[in-house]
Amino acid sequence: MKLALYSGGHDFENIRMDEALLSMVGNKNPKVSFIPSCSYLSHVDFREYVSQYRKHRIKRFIHFPIDTSFSNVVKEEVFNGDIIHLSGGNTYYFLKHLRKAKMLGALKEFVKRGGVLTGLSAGAIIMTKNINTAGFPSFDRDENEDNVKNLNGMGLVNFEFFPHYKNSARYDKELLKYSKKSRNKIYACPDGAGILLNDGMKTFVGKCYCFFNGEKIVL
Amino acid sequence: MGQSQKKSKLSLKSYSKFDSIDGSHPFKKAVPEGFIDYPARIRKGGKLAFFNYALAKEMGLIPVSHPEKMDKELEKKVLETFGIVIINEFDQMNGRSFDKKDIKSGTYMATRYLQLQHEDKTGRTSGDGRSIWNGQVKHKGSTWDISSCGTGATALSPATSKYNRFFETGDPSISYGCGYAELDEGLSTALFSDIFHRNNINTEQTLCVIEYEKNYSINVRAHQSLFRPSHFFGYLKQGNYTNLKNSIDYYIDSRRADKEFENCPKGPKKYDYLLNYVCRTFANTTAIFEDEYIFCWLDWDGDNILMDGGIIDYGSVRQFGLFHHEYRYDDVERFSTNILEQKEKAKKIVQTFIQLVDFLKTKEKRPLGQFKKHKVLTEFESLFNERKNYNLLKKLGLGESAVEALLDKHISVVEDFRKVFSYFERAKSSKGLGRVSDGVSWDAIFCMRDLLRELPQIYLSREEHLNEAEFIEIIRSNYATQEDLEVNSYRKKKIKEFQELYSSLIELSCMEDGTSKEKRLLEMTMRSAVINKMERVTGDAISLIVDLVMKQRKKIGSDEIYKLFKKFSSFQTMDPSGQSLPNKKFWSSNLMRQFYEIVKERREGI
Repeated sequence: MKLALYSGGHDFENIRMDEALLSMVGNKNPKVSFIPSCSYLSHVDFREYVSQYRKHRIKRFIHFPIDTSFSNVVKEEVFNGDIIHLSGGNTYYFLKHLRKAKMLGALKEFVKRGGVLTGLSAGAIIMTKNINTAGFPSFDRDENEDNVKNLNGMGLVNFEFFPHYKNSARYDKELLKYSKKSRNKIYACPDGAGILLNDGMKTFVGKCYCFFNGEKIVL
Repeated sequence: MGQSQKKSKLSLKSYSKFDSIDGSHPFKKAVPEGFIDYPARIRKGGKLAFFNYALAKEMGLIPVSHPEKMDKELEKKVLETFGIVIINEFDQMNGRSFDKKDIKSGTYMATRYLQLQHEDKTGRTSGDGRSIWNGQVKHKGSTWDISSCGTGATALSPATSKYNRFFETGDPSISYGCGYAELDEGLSTALFSDIFHRNNINTEQTLCVIEYEKNYSINVRAHQSLFRPSHFFGYLKQGNYTNLKNSIDYYIDSRRADKEFENCPKGPKKYDYLLNYVCRTFANTTAIFEDEYIFCWLDWDGDNILMDGGIIDYGSVRQFGLFHHEYRYDDVERFSTNILEQKEKAKKIVQTFIQLVDFLKTKEKRPLGQFKKHKVLTEFESLFNERKNYNLLKKLGLGESAVEALLDKHISVVEDFRKVFSYFERAKSSKGLGRVSDGVSWDAIFCMRDLLRELPQIYLSREEHLNEAEFIEIIRSNYATQEDLEVNSYRKKKIKEFQELYSSLIELSCMEDGTSKEKRLLEMTMRSAVINKMERVTGDAISLIVDLVMKQRKKIGSDEIYKLFKKFSSFQTMDPSGQSLPNKKFWSSNLMRQFYEIVKERREGI
């Protein structure tokens, strides 16, 4: 299983993550698909994404919004590719539409077949067991305007992911509180950091933290 | 003097330009018989439903630094300037008296122009039936005409012509001719015209909408010259040389400050210059209408369109999601033209201008038919085709230099591609002609925008053509039945031809500028994702969005409507350069989210 969980940030902050990710891909001319969290203005994010990976000589990209009608022909191209990227955005909205478009199962199959799945922020949270971390801290959380009740993620990993983490007391307070309730380890990553999983091998890129049972551990 | 008094004085001064909008207009002097002049009075009970700050700034009515927030002084100024009703023939014949302090000092013209719905057919009885011209303002070298719809029944309405009597403004027995306009039509026009304006489609723009009881409104429009071909065609039909010459001379002189007319000669050659301008304008405009699927009812009378090809009167204007080329608007007594007939009607307008210019130069009015083989009409055809070729290549997602190279060096491939593109674009459902909400239509079945959006990225991904089933899967719309999607041998041939020609265009463009195929396809993928975006508004969607706003009207003020419309229009700007992006926090408003869902749901409609 090949996964990359990005926290966020600018392209120049993620160069190490990008290089580590691309080293997991077998194909020298990989086909990369971008699934935006929401189709609204997604071409802007797609453009930024292309710009980021063209620096690494990637040439083949597909833009594939799933919260609107889509063609099965394009879907097939996406799932026959090498990398699928789940973008950032509102985690609830994104999960709702991935589920509605029956993408969650297809993505798991893609990963099982050896495809590389990457996610940034919301996209990364959805790859984990649940999307609870999208709901806090109170000062920087996603609004559940879609009233999504089933907060189960894809469950590709046995931990939870907290993106855009800032090493400060107000973040720690909420993370420590949550970690007492959760049975899972919560990996908190600042922008530019992230986690790579390559066939069972877990690598932390950048300064990452773990919150578990009411404790904070620097990784 | 206290701070608040100072502020008040300053703002009053900064709104002083409104005072010049008092009904005066140079056309009155140029063509004294070209209008009926009406006194007017303040119409009480109005409140602002919409005010276009961006346009008001462009026109110099408010300072550029003015916040996009209504204040009492500005509102008062707008209501005093535009919240008026004419004192018409009915009022005068019935000896109605009005409070002197409510009577405006100026008089306001209802202009005469030709309209096919009038029996007279020569423009003697027709023109602004429920509108008056508020005046003209000049700012930074531009001249803006301003007119208002819903300011009372004039003697130029179809009702007066039909029943040979004058009507009281607001007479409930006669809807089309009572002189009032409605709030939903005002808001629809404000939104629709702003979307077109941002996409470089020439159009009237809404300056403000003033709301009155029973959802009536006054809808104020502005444009750099609100003259229509029909303003001149009436005099041509009547053979009235003097008024025709005066009105055309006025029009040319009034446009001299504009870039389009800066090289216009002074002598009689100015008429040839005008003719070439009209030919070019109408060839380009109708080509754009066709390719953007804009339905604008053009007819021989030269109404519903401005001299510069700008859209005016949004009552029947639509933007289709697919090429619904059999759609006709039902205007009760007649059906409109369809989108494909627009070109022939535009050509007829140009032919009428040939007749008009000939009349001006020779003082002899020759029959229109004598000009049907005129070289300007050949030029019209040529310009129309050139523009269609250009539009198609742009829609593919090619950049300007690649488009120019293909048009310059490989025109036969471009034209062959346009033919096969048209075959799919014009394919219709086996269901046949049927009723739709405001007319009749025969559904188109293929969504070319979807195909143009997906094709470059698929080719980039797989480097081989789609098979027939895949091609149909991408292009099919929700209007298509299984029968419509059958791939017979002819269609199979066309699918192959389409893809071969599409690939040839890409290869040729790469050959011309040395770009790699992968780079070109990626560039097209990104540009096409914007140009052919899935969520493009249709006429149906505009109606539903305005219905939604109307339902919420009590909760949202004019500033909020302005902001909503501005944000939505910005989202509808198909600018692949990405220079006009709205704020990404689209979801900040629940209403905006509902707009988005409407657009997605209605994207293939009319």
